[in-house]
Amino acid sequence: MTAAFRSRRVLATSAAVVALLLAVLLSLAVGARPIAPGTVLDALLHGAGGDDAEVVRELRVPRTVIGLMVGAALALAGTALQGITRNPIADPGILGISQGSSVAVVLAIAFLGVHSLSGYVWFAFAGAALASVAVYAIAHSGRGGATPVKLALGGAAINALLLSVTTGVLTTKAAALDEFRFWQTGSLDGRDAATIGQIWPFLLLGAVLVLSVARGLDALALGEDVAKGLGQKVATVRIVGGLGATVLTGAAVAAAGPIAFVGLAVPHIARAVVGSDHRWVLPMAALIGPVMVLTADVAGRIVFPPGEVPAGVMTALIGVPFLVTLVRRKAVPA
Amino acid sequence: MSLPATRIRPAGYGLVRTGPASFLVHRRSLLAAGALLLLLAAVSVAYLCAGEKTVPPGEVLTVLTGGDSPAAFVVEELRVPRLVTALAVGAAFGIAGALIQTVARNPLASPDIIGISQGAGALTVAAMTFGLASYTVLPYLSIAGGVLAAALVYVFAWRGGLHATRFVLIGIGFAIALRSLITLFMTKGDYLVAQQAQIWMTGSLNGRGWDESAPVRWTLLAMLPAVLWTARAQRTVALDDSTATALGVRLGRVRLGLVAVGVVLASVATGVAGPVDFVALLAPQIARRVTRTAQIPLFCSALLGALIVTAADLVGRRLFSPVELPVGVLTAAVGAPYLIWLIVRSRTGEKA
Repeated sequence: MTAAFRSRRVLATSAAVVALLLAVLLSLAVGARPIAPGTVLDALLHGAGGDDAEVVRELRVPRTVIGLMVGAALALAGTALQGITRNPIADPGILGISQGSSVAVVLAIAFLGVHSLSGYVWFAFAGAALASVAVYAIAHSGRGGATPVKLALGGAAINALLLSVTTGVLTTKAAALDEFRFWQTGSLDGRDAATIGQIWPFLLLGAVLVLSVARGLDALALGEDVAKGLGQKVATVRIVGGLGATVLTGAAVAAAGPIAFVGLAVPHIARAVVGSDHRWVLPMAALIGPVMVLTADVAGRIVFPPGEVPAGVMTALIGVPFLVTLVRRKAVPA
Repeated sequence: MSLPATRIRPAGYGLVRTGPASFLVHRRSLLAAGALLLLLAAVSVAYLCAGEKTVPPGEVLTVLTGGDSPAAFVVEELRVPRLVTALAVGAAFGIAGALIQTVARNPLASPDIIGISQGAGALTVAAMTFGLASYTVLPYLSIAGGVLAAALVYVFAWRGGLHATRFVLIGIGFAIALRSLITLFMTKGDYLVAQQAQIWMTGSLNGRGWDESAPVRWTLLAMLPAVLWTARAQRTVALDDSTATALGVRLGRVRLGLVAVGVVLASVATGVAGPVDFVALLAPQIARRVTRTAQIPLFCSALLGALIVTAADLVGRRLFSPVELPVGVLTAAVGAPYLIWLIVRSRTGEKA
């Protein structure tokens, strides 16, 4: 570890923090009703009155906070899952965790008559949890325990099964599809403070769990035997990290729908910036994830006025160039 | 086994001599292929028997062998064309999945990972939503979309060679971006269009007869030499890069060839039936575990793909009859449990 590299890390972290602050400010100021940054600060700090201040406080602050939470949660979950499965394309989506939430929401819409965002939350959460447990149970059974390959394939198989339930309901119940198609794009629109209240404890718990296994993930990257030799309890690292990733994914999907791409791309971007030490990668991912989600959300508000493009769509469209540039730049990608 | 010369053979292989030529055959693969063929034949007969009007197996065989039977019309005109479509689509996805997984060196890779399905879907769903194309043109749009998306991924992933991980990562990036576009298009039309799009995205064999399945059948035939070449080329790509290069393999070209064959097969199959995704992921993985070969076996992957799609369509037609479920709903339900069971009872040290 050279001094130059260490200072580069500090620089990169500072840059990420500045980018995040900018993204937050944009998210508060930009929209169908442009509001000057000064007015935004007045509304936040001095409790100014007027329509603009109302818009900022009642609509944009909750939306921005949700964006922050969802971005951080998905990025952390993706980083943990890529570390646990040692597969660069692992993310909550491909391993079936997001799909678990989708199935639960579809079933809730189709058979239980749940039709509100706050009603979806708990179903999304329960679905994510059940899917993760199933994936781990499959991978863990048999000899050798939950090896990366078994985790990845078990996740893919569960993802396939759950998707078949989702499509089975959607292709036979038109009314459910009509509602679900709007939820499945993933969006920050129309989320209120109540959702934040439902979500934040889980976000905190998940973040603590994932951060607590940072060293274990570093060891796992060297291979299972080396990790054991270094005194890491491999199974514990996987279970704790997986639990953290599940709680985070559940919270994020419950709050904003299955926003794709963040969990996949952000870990790679974070690793490109600060190296492979998970004690740096995880916090960095937690900074970059929200930048991506908020920027996407803001862009979605101004691309095709007066309508909005959902954040889930914009995230991928904005994120792909980043990922492509980054993967091309590296001689051998992670 | 007394001659020392015979001991050079790798474990699990038998020697076949036909006159001047001789080659090695993996015994377990041969057995597996035989068993799969039998199973496929049984499922095919069941497929032809089952329907609104049940035809006894004896009658089906009579019809197939050209005999006269009152059931001739139902079997020959209605069920055989759809069965052939299911077999062809399944085989195409099975081979495509095997090739793409080999190049990507990742068991999670499949046509929907490198954007083929999403490219096809984006064009098709856009055309449906905005009423741009008639239904006769749609299949060709999806083929074009699939090939285009894969070509884009290839161009962006190429950097003095095709690195496996780079290829998969860029592919999945494009796939997710296109997927997001599809979900966006689905919110733009009314719900009838959304439902049509959803059924197409799921994959369906409903109303697919001789005319509709012609592209995929001809493609399979035309690609046969290419597929035979890939079966050989696959072995070299399975080695790590430096070893393969040291042995004189032109990795870049071989990979391009393998991916191109896979992309064409997957795109054409998608054009016929829609992106029946998990077949391409499941079939090769199940095949590898059944045969226990070092590479992903192509022939068994094709058989398993055909088996999964045919069985899934059979269940989809009969489960809630007269309501028919799209085949894509059940492919995973048919294939995934078996893969899960294989994972559960897997031995240690198994690689992807």
